[in-house]
This record gives sequence, C-alpha cells and structure tokens, in this order.
Amino acid sequence: MSAHNFEIPSRQSAKGIIVIFGVSIFKIFKAMIIIFAALVLKFLQSDKSPDFTSLKVVLPVLGIIVVFLLLAVFRYLNFKFYVKDDYFFLRKGIFNKEEISVSTSKIQNVYIKQNVLQQLINVVSLSIETAGDDKTEIEISALSRPKAEALKSILMLSSRANDVGKNVQVEEVIYFKASIKKLLLEGVSENHFKSFALIFAFIISIYQDLKEFVNQLNLTSRFGSWFELDGESFMALLLFNVTIVVALLISSFFLSMIRMFVQNFNLTVKRKTEGLEISKGLLNKINLSLSASRIQNSTISTNRLKRAFGLYKLAFTQAMANKKQQINFNIVGLGKLQINELLDQFYPDVQKRLLKNKPNKYLMHRLLFTSALVVVLLNAGLYFGPKTLLFINIPLVVYIIANALYAYKKAYYHLDDDYIVVGGGKLIDTSTDFLEIKKVQAVTLNQSIFQKSRGLASVVIFSASKPLTIPHIELSMAFNIKNYLLFKVESENKDWM
Amino acid sequence: MSLFSNIQIDIDILPKSEDLDLIPISAKYFKIILINICFIYAIFVGILLALYSFADDSGINEVFWYLIGLICTLCIISIVMYYIGFKKRMYAMREKDMTYSHGYLVNKTVTLPYNRIQHIEIARSFLARKLGLSTLKIYSAGQSGGDIAVKGLPKDVADTQYAFLIKIINERS
Repeated sequence: MSAHNFEIPSRQSAKGIIVIFGVSIFKIFKAMIIIFAALVLKFLQSDKSPDFTSLKVVLPVLGIIVVFLLLAVFRYLNFKFYVKDDYFFLRKGIFNKEEISVSTSKIQNVYIKQNVLQQLINVVSLSIETAGDDKTEIEISALSRPKAEALKSILMLSSRANDVGKNVQVEEVIYFKASIKKLLLEGVSENHFKSFALIFAFIISIYQDLKEFVNQLNLTSRFGSWFELDGESFMALLLFNVTIVVALLISSFFLSMIRMFVQNFNLTVKRKTEGLEISKGLLNKINLSLSASRIQNSTISTNRLKRAFGLYKLAFTQAMANKKQQINFNIVGLGKLQINELLDQFYPDVQKRLLKNKPNKYLMHRLLFTSALVVVLLNAGLYFGPKTLLFINIPLVVYIIANALYAYKKAYYHLDDDYIVVGGGKLIDTSTDFLEIKKVQAVTLNQSIFQKSRGLASVVIFSASKPLTIPHIELSMAFNIKNYLLFKVESENKDWM
Repeated sequence: MSLFSNIQIDIDILPKSEDLDLIPISAKYFKIILINICFIYAIFVGILLALYSFADDSGINEVFWYLIGLICTLCIISIVMYYIGFKKRMYAMREKDMTYSHGYLVNKTVTLPYNRIQHIEIARSFLARKLGLSTLKIYSAGQSGGDIAVKGLPKDVADTQYAFLIKIINERS
C-alpha cells in the first residue's frame, strides 16, 4: 500500500487522455445518432455512393477530433487529486476551475468500474459516492488497478474506522460465484413482460420512422402476400398481429437473457467481516463494497419459476445511491442456503424471531375490486369486437382471482426489537423486505376513506432509501406500531448511517 | 397483542400519537388555495374564450357553453374537495418529534423524530407574504417522502418553531 503516495497532488494515468477522449466522442456520437442515421439514409436513397474522401467530409471530422483531443489533454492536465488529513481533494476544470474536498468519513462508497475502452487499455475508473447531494460527481477515469485498489482501501479504511474500529483484512475468500448455467437459468426465468414492454415502447416511439423504412424496403408487398392483408379477412389481420406479438415475445426473451448476462457476467461475491464485495459485468465491469452499516433496506425476491430452480435475488439499497447504481447492489442466482447465511450476517437472528402477522383481508378485496374495474373497462371495449374475443375473460378472471388470493396469502409483517420485516408478492412474484429499526427516518399513518369505514390503516416507514409499507392493518395496531417505532428511534438515538 | 410479546416495553405506556392535540393551520391559507385554483381554471376559460372569438368554424361555438359549464363544475368540485381537505391540515409538536396530518380521501399523518432532521427551511411565496404566512419545511434523509412541509403557518409561529428546531439540531451535534 505504501507503494503509492496519495498525499501529493497527482494526475491519473496518462491513458486517461484516451479514456476522456473516447468517452466524449462516444457521448457526441450517442447524442447525434439520429442525425447520422438520417445522413446514412439519405445516402442510401440517393443513387450516388458517398464520397468519404472529399474535403467537405474529411476536414470537419478531423477538426472535431483535434478539438476533442486537445480538450481531453487539457482536462487531463488540469485533473489532480490527493488525500490529506482524512480529506480527499480533487481539482479539475479547464475554464471553470473546481476544487472538491470530501471528508473520508462522509464517503458512502467507492466503486471501481471498467468500461470496454478501459478494459482494452487496462485501466480502471474509480468513483466516490458521498452522503449528501447526489449532484457532485467524483470520478477518476484512468488508474492502474493496483493503484485504484490502494486508493480505495485508504478511503474506505478511514471512513470505516469511525464506525467499527475493528481491524479488517481477514482472509478474502470467494463466497459466491454465479456460474454461466445459473445466469442462463436466471435469464430464462426473468419476467419477460418487462422487456416486452420495453421493446413495445421502443417500437411505438420509432413507429413513424419505421413505417417509412418498411415502405421503402417494400416489405408490405412481400409480407402482404403471405397474410393476404387486403383488409377483408379479420382472421388474417389477427394472425398478422399474433405473429408480431410472438416475434416480440421471442425477442424480449432474448433481450432479458442478454441483459442478465451482460449485467451479471462473472458475478463474484466476497464476504468480509464488515460487509460484502461484489464484482460483475461484461462490458462495464464494476467492483463495489457494501458495508453493513451503510445498508438501508434489503429485499429478497424470487418468482415461481426461479424458486423451482432454487434461485433467489438479494438486493440492497444504500442511502442516497441513485437509481442507476442501485441495480448493481443486486446479487442474483443465490441459493436458499446462501440467502440464509447472508441474512444472518446483516440481520442476525431475524429468521428465528420471524413471526408472521397477517394484514386484513381488505388487501385482497381491494385488489379484486380494482382488477374488476379493469375487466369492466376491457369488456366495454371488447363489446364492439367479435364475440369470440369475449372468451379472453375466462383466463383473465381466473388470473385475477388467483392473483388476489396469493397476494393475501403472501402478505405478512413482523416487528421485533431490531427489525421490521414485510413480506409480499402476487401470483408469480414473491418478495421480502428487511429493515433495521434504527434506520427509520419517519413514520406515516395513511388512512383512505375506504379504510376509515373499516377501521383500518396502513403504516409507511421511511428510511434513507425506499419506504416500506405495512398495508391494511387494524387502526389500533397501526397506532401501536407507529408509537413503538417512534419510541425506539427517539429514545435509543442510534446512528442511521 | 402477540406481535409485541417479544418486546420488553409495555406498549400501553408509550407516548400515544393518537391522543395528540393537532393544531389547524391558519384559516387565511385557504385564500391562497382559492386563488391558485381559480387562477388555473381561469387559464382554461381564457383559452376557450380565445378559441371562441378567433375560430371561424361553428364547431367550437356549439359546445362552448357546455365546456364553460363543465369547467365551472370542475372548479366548484375542486374548491369543495380542497375545503374539506383543508380542514384536515393540522400539525403538532411534541418533545421529540413533529407531526403533520393532511388529506381527506387519503389521510396521511407523518411523524418525523427531531433526531432524524437533516435540515429545515422557511419558504414564503408572494401571496403568503401578503397574508403574513410561512411554509415550514423539515427534511429527513428519507429519499422518497418522509419530509414535512407545513404550509400556511402564521409567520411568527413559523419563526418560533424554526428557532426551536434549530436549537434542537445544534444541541444534538
């Protein structure tokens, strides 16, 4: 560790120029992709082939590249960082100079990331997340891996010394490594409707352009003959739509597979005394440590298919971590045994104490009622279509009833000296949320007018990340829970971070 | 009471948040709500009037009075709903936490312990300044909700509470 001296202001690795340059070019390209696509389309439409050697093309492109290269060099020269007296300092900026200083005790987390470009030139980026505002971005984009590891351990060590004081560096064994088979199974058992919705939204958003494009390719004449799309036969139209839906479903299936694979490739979890270290990713490799004191909520989730495969997901949330990073605190492909072990590490004893208290049956009735509204609306629309379509009601009603029954069956809550546990789910998904009472920020008692007439209420418990809801319980119980939580938070006065 | 059987504390002797004497906010604040509602609906009426006077085809002319009627009905309904909801806007301060209750269709009662306060602020809009009112905002570290914003406090009350809370925050650290 002493090989690197962080006390004097130093620049990142000179390869940083390449990274800064690459990232800014990539950003430009991403922002202008529509213009590029339009240009390409225009060239395709005109008969003459594009002349890339003409000065009209070469000069501006060259000019842009030189400008950005110069900017990257200056940005690199003006970027210096150092650690001194438990503070991390960063100076950056060409025209607008900025100096950032962060107390290491306020550092929430340090990530080591590696995108494709950084993988190619063998550097890593290190970003620092602080409690407070999420606007200041501290990222050093090119460091050699050993140097980044050393800096990370310095930053994390001093921030941790405050809360534990224990000496760390126990042997680091790999606790869990997701095999390719596990990831494939995870991908297969994903909720494919989510990616279906994603693709669907994407297609809708580019529908107009797509129509233009399809027209040009004369696809309609080719496909039209297959399905006899002359507007006469309803069945042909239906078949056409069904084909599209099936094609979409298949592509969404592959999309969720690929997404799972890219995000979680080589997922490795190391267990330490004070927390976990997670590393994963194919295109963007990421390495992050999770210390127990920083965790706010933890959620275990699975669905029917995943449970049959023995797959569970454990997700952690930290204070102020933005949405994008929260995805990275997920560990997929865990077995039941590992889930129990990890729970014992972060929530000792919680599984033995677990006592499932049921909410009121109104939970089920309410779900039935709201879904019935949807069915009624749907039928109002179907009324004008062919009568055979009304049969869609049969599976729909079965699904709704099963959904409501399981929603009630799976719902429970638990409260003890240290923890709040809320279980929930519906027909397919199951999830369990855990929260330590000392991390509670505020407590809300919600009562709608429908709940009021039944003497029920819901308790919403806010932590520094997502809120936890205990739904539809007796009003007196809701008050008891609220009073108890407030009493614990106010009398014990424990640190929440 | 099996839920609390494991707990060493007698749940009945805890301070009860249900027995709180909640204080309503200043009645003057309803004027601000009223002005805001009327302003929004006046914009709609203005757009309609503009269409009515400038459009040549008779399509808009036929439904014009119906639309005006609809807007007025909606306006009256929202005023009534806001009035009922306004009566529910109440707050209370205890030794160790602050409570704010609001909402008619869904009544929400937030309680924020003082030892979780991150920062506080007083905001005064143009209308509020004219009426001598303030908004007291109390932020916790809770990311989504869990914060309190008591609108329509008389200025002196808001200032006293602000000073009180600042004192508590300063003593805490």
